[in-house]
Amino acid sequence: MRLTDIRLIAAREVRARVRGRVFRAGTALILAGVTAAIVIPKLTKASASTARVGVAAGVPAAAREVVGAAAKRAGQPVLIVGESSPGAARSALRAGRLDLVVEPERLVVEKPISAGDTSTEATFVRDLAAALGTLRAYRQAGLSAVQASRLSKSRPFEIASLEAAHKNTIKTASIIGVILIFIMLTQYLTWTLMGVMEEKSSRVVEVLLSAVRPLQLLAGKVLGIGLVAMGQATVVVVFALGLAEAVGSTILNGAGPATIGSALLWLLLGYAFYSWVYAAAGSTIERQDQVQSLALPLSLPMILGYVMALVTAGSGTPSTFFEILAYLPPTAPFAMPILVGLGRVAPWQFAASVLISVAATVLVARVAAGVYRRAVLRTGGRVNWRELLRA
Amino acid sequence: MSRRLELEGLTRRFGSVTALAELSFSVESGRVVGFLGPNGAGKTTAMRAIFDLTDLDAGTVRWDGATVGHDQRRSFGYMPEERGLYPGMRVAEQIEYLGRLHGLDAPAAARAAAHWLERLGVAGRAEDKVESLSHGNQQRVQLAAAIVHDPELLVLDEPLAGLDPTGIDDVGRVLVEQARSGRGVLFSSHQLDQVEDLCEDVIIIDHGRLVAAGTVDELAAGGSRRLLVRVDGDRDGAWARELAGVHVSEAAAGALRLALDPNTDTQAVLHAAMAAGPVSEFSIQRRRLSEVFREAVSG
Repeated sequence: MRLTDIRLIAAREVRARVRGRVFRAGTALILAGVTAAIVIPKLTKASASTARVGVAAGVPAAAREVVGAAAKRAGQPVLIVGESSPGAARSALRAGRLDLVVEPERLVVEKPISAGDTSTEATFVRDLAAALGTLRAYRQAGLSAVQASRLSKSRPFEIASLEAAHKNTIKTASIIGVILIFIMLTQYLTWTLMGVMEEKSSRVVEVLLSAVRPLQLLAGKVLGIGLVAMGQATVVVVFALGLAEAVGSTILNGAGPATIGSALLWLLLGYAFYSWVYAAAGSTIERQDQVQSLALPLSLPMILGYVMALVTAGSGTPSTFFEILAYLPPTAPFAMPILVGLGRVAPWQFAASVLISVAATVLVARVAAGVYRRAVLRTGGRVNWRELLRA
Repeated sequence: MSRRLELEGLTRRFGSVTALAELSFSVESGRVVGFLGPNGAGKTTAMRAIFDLTDLDAGTVRWDGATVGHDQRRSFGYMPEERGLYPGMRVAEQIEYLGRLHGLDAPAAARAAAHWLERLGVAGRAEDKVESLSHGNQQRVQLAAAIVHDPELLVLDEPLAGLDPTGIDDVGRVLVEQARSGRGVLFSSHQLDQVEDLCEDVIIIDHGRLVAAGTVDELAAGGSRRLLVRVDGDRDGAWARELAGVHVSEAAAGALRLALDPNTDTQAVLHAAMAAGPVSEFSIQRRRLSEVFREAVSG
């Protein structure tokens, strides 16, 4: 088999796909989604404006430390302003120069805070109220100002676990990876399905097969679209890392080489496995409406793996069923990156899943090449699958 | 040295339908060979068999005495019955791509594509997408795709279909030139007048079997004698239909082409014609290819 022919066919696929509006629009959409995932959380955090807290005369000095500690806990930047009297402080609050006033016996805000308000500001006010109440209790219990201050700075006990802790950011990166794998696989596998169908329906396949072997044509198409997929994925990863660095986002902090590498590897393995199936299926049809009827059943294993991956990522606790999915080639591209993100897979288990997927891909490719060879030149009638698989 | 494509004992069944029934014939290089047969006779299946585009139940395809393999097929040029090009791909790029798949390097493919697009009168559309071309121009591009790699053998399924007279002349000239330069040319067509003008050899099949083969001259010279008779004012040729040993082969434009039985006296025919009206034309003629065809497939 001439590798030059496969290279030529793959190069044509790459040119045709990259030039297409669908590719450019799809890439722009994915980059926009990644931008939103990275920038919006950053903007949301940054938008917590500094709260101006007026501390009226007569409030113990330790209260200022309590305000600072509560602000830190809530992630609420504060500016503490001394006020000569509660009356002056309230005037400043009404005038909008202050957001909150600490009086000797109460906190004063401009508008009531509802019980369901979970904003940073509301959380800060509630926490501050509780802390100031504790400080007052210490003083009423007869503690000195220094003792009360020490107690108010008390830190909770560390909670230790026998298993290593898993940072939430690792899970987030894995989830983003699985979502991108699903989007990209869906897009590129549909291209494969439609590309084969269009070559058959336009009859150009007959011209091509007078020059190259069916396996060369199929391999070139799968390789070409796969290169576009990996190229796009690389662009997305580089863009995401660069953007996260530029805006100082921590969303990808846990996305070490293992997580990113795992996502890229499983995108590649998932595409390699499914592309042959979709190409063989595409060779059995000739019309656009047949694409729709084939695409859904073909994508069901992917949808199962994808949904289970998201559910498991949300719960953080993989079930036995989910762990089995991580070793089945149709669902492993979604399940295994989540197990990696959760730190629930040993290197040998990861390698075993990769080997199973590669072996299954080789088998599927052989069957698919046979089906393609027999089906792609049959036109004008429905192709009998049983006959294709048996022959 | 003359080279030869041989199809030997090709048999292909589709369920209960026999598309090819031990079909055998050969194509010599340097000659234009017309491949004729009624619809469904098996022409397309036979041509596809040359390129291994259909499975065979029996038979072999040979080139220079050796079974044709993939590398040999790459040196052939093929134009399928149902035209096939990438609709959204630019014309020149497409021809270059197909040239490269047939083994040309990039510069050679670009040169050959430019040459054939110029030669076939579509150079001005080289940068257009195929789907924007008229049917006739797509046909020319399809021929360029089959010929770009300078094939040893051209196999063309209905290359004249859908072309206007100018297009037929252009394509016909290319086919003859290819044969004169030593290539073998096998093409199917239902346009028998063009086949008669272009071809040295003709192969006629019916129901997957060979029913006639030979040079155009041999086939034309065979069979019953032909008379062309024009009787002024006679439109239906009723006078001839009543004559014993005379069969009306064709009636067109006020002239009759008559097929005579071996013992029929031409003078008796002339007298009968004169009795029907003034005779302005009376000549003994060769069989036309259309007559050869009809007789071959009806027998």
